[in-house]
Amino acid sequence: MKTPQTLERSHGWRKWLLRHETLLLVVLVLEWSLFYYFGTSVNRRGMTVGFGTLDRQFDILRHSCEIGLLALALTPVILAGGIDLSVASLLGLCAVIFGQLTHDLGLSLSIAAGATVALGALAGGLNATLIAGLRLPPLIVTLGTYSLFRGLAEALTRGAVTYSDFAPRFLSLGQDRWLALPVQAWVFFAVAAGMWMLVHRTVAGRSFRVIGFSPEGARFAGLPVTRNLAGVYVLAGAIAAIAALIYTARLGQAKADAAIGYELFAIAAVVLGGTSIFGGRGSVTGTLLGVAVIAVLKNGLATLPVVIRLNAAEEISGMLTGFLLLAALAGSTIPKLVSARRNRSWSNGSFISPSP
Amino acid sequence: MSRYSRELSVLAVLAAMLLALGVWAPGFYRLQPLLSLATREAPVLVVACGMVLVVIARQIDISVGSQFSICSVAGGLLAAAGWPMVLVVPASVAIGAMLGMLNGALVAGLGLPSIVVTLAMLVTLRQGLNLFRQGEFVTLPDGVQWFGLSQSVGQALILAATGVLVIVLAAALRHVALGRQIYAVGSDAEASRLAGIRPRWVTFFAFAALGALTGLAAAMNVVQSPQVQPLSGNGMELKVIAAVVVGGVAISGGRGTLWGATAGLMVLACISPALVHLHIEAYWEKAIQGAVILLAAIAEGLRRRRSDA
Repeated sequence: MKTPQTLERSHGWRKWLLRHETLLLVVLVLEWSLFYYFGTSVNRRGMTVGFGTLDRQFDILRHSCEIGLLALALTPVILAGGIDLSVASLLGLCAVIFGQLTHDLGLSLSIAAGATVALGALAGGLNATLIAGLRLPPLIVTLGTYSLFRGLAEALTRGAVTYSDFAPRFLSLGQDRWLALPVQAWVFFAVAAGMWMLVHRTVAGRSFRVIGFSPEGARFAGLPVTRNLAGVYVLAGAIAAIAALIYTARLGQAKADAAIGYELFAIAAVVLGGTSIFGGRGSVTGTLLGVAVIAVLKNGLATLPVVIRLNAAEEISGMLTGFLLLAALAGSTIPKLVSARRNRSWSNGSFISPSP
Repeated sequence: MSRYSRELSVLAVLAAMLLALGVWAPGFYRLQPLLSLATREAPVLVVACGMVLVVIARQIDISVGSQFSICSVAGGLLAAAGWPMVLVVPASVAIGAMLGMLNGALVAGLGLPSIVVTLAMLVTLRQGLNLFRQGEFVTLPDGVQWFGLSQSVGQALILAATGVLVIVLAAALRHVALGRQIYAVGSDAEASRLAGIRPRWVTFFAFAALGALTGLAAAMNVVQSPQVQPLSGNGMELKVIAAVVVGGVAISGGRGTLWGATAGLMVLACISPALVHLHIEAYWEKAIQGAVILLAAIAEGLRRRRSDA
């Protein structure tokens, strides 16, 4: 694949990417050290408590797996110039379906899990058909399926049924450790590694950025745009289903309101990671760093004495995430704005795709 | 005629729905429940009017729910502090306008993508309000609910204000220069700039207007109950965007009408009472709304394909 490489080189993207990711890494190390210093204390029995404990680090990892998986699912979608608002709703639907398959139909765990992931891919296929097949705007289609998937989850459970009492073998996926790390972290790392290979090391994966940069150009270059675009949404659905299994195993229950609002944080993590919301630019490494920065921020704040006194970890971390997102955007856009002002043009790029 | 085919198809769907309700569920047409349904949805319609402006200008604002909550709580606090309603309403509008201007400055001034800017604002404003209020309700003093009038007069007042607003805005969008400029900027910003329009200012104005209308809607919502709920705006952005899309406003900018969006909102708003009267479980509402949005998207795609051909 020659095209993406020359594209990248001529725009200096690789250099820029490196800079953005380095910057994120610096932010991550800084906030981690800050929380380590201010959030760790020794209690009366001489035990270390707070941020600096290994348990807390595992907790951060455990809690970031679901949003992390959704962010990984969204990375190729956004790289290819799309968006998927429906992933968290699909997580809820898959959790409920998994509960029904195991409890009401009495299927064995592995068959139910496999069926759930297949269903997630199928639901992603609905997005794919409408977006890649009929070429409808991804924002509207996934706004519709956002409502549809969550609504189906509510209808299937009549808004009330909660599935609990899962087999211990299944719960260990979300609550136990394997080889020192939480079990779900291994799943997360495996998906992350697979996604990195796909996006950065395969022909199909490298086409995502080309499609996001210019769908017409990609089509003229002979890339299978429709097929690859469809694949991105199907993959997102399957990963959302995996996240649903982990979510259910961690909490030990499946309800229709599972993971409400997670899509916002997943999108925030992807964009914070340096992926352009217009598509065409970004990386899996950036997304992972974005997830880590948000997760450490949220968990770390909860260990600071002043935040504990205010009882406002959630609120402050949410606000700081918003500010970080704006800062990351402004940081990447203002230099371009200055050069654009020099030649006096302002292209009113649409919010989701660059203007033609 | 074919210019408005999308809007007309929404109207046809709405008429079919109302007719079907008349045949199978005449209970839907009792005056009092219908009146309270309309009053409940009036604030959403006011926000949707602003969203039409922003979407026609080829932008989006997903922070309206948070803006709505902030304006509601602020309006409630001012009313509780003894401000008369004639001052509370403009204050709420002003707060909304300022929040809208902040979005507008970030999008039009710095050229940041509006979906991410307003996503950041959605989270920041919501959590800021939580931090400030800790989820507390605002209890309103007597004389605030329904502006201190009787319920039916208050409802009539809100509905009349909404109706006038929609008509005036629709006329302005069609006949006033600024209204035409919004369409021009949404169709092609660079071409509009070459034609002497200032796309940045038009975009900024659209966001400011949406904020102001959100503030107005919040005030209309505050007077409907004895307490102000701090989460009243949660999820409103999706409802509003859904109404706009179902009403035939093109998300790619430059096309759409206010009355189309009004009809779109009416279709979505009638689903829930229709389910009740047709004895379908209410849990299906969200799924049906999603299906309606998807159908609207498909209709829009078909219209575009036909006009391309």
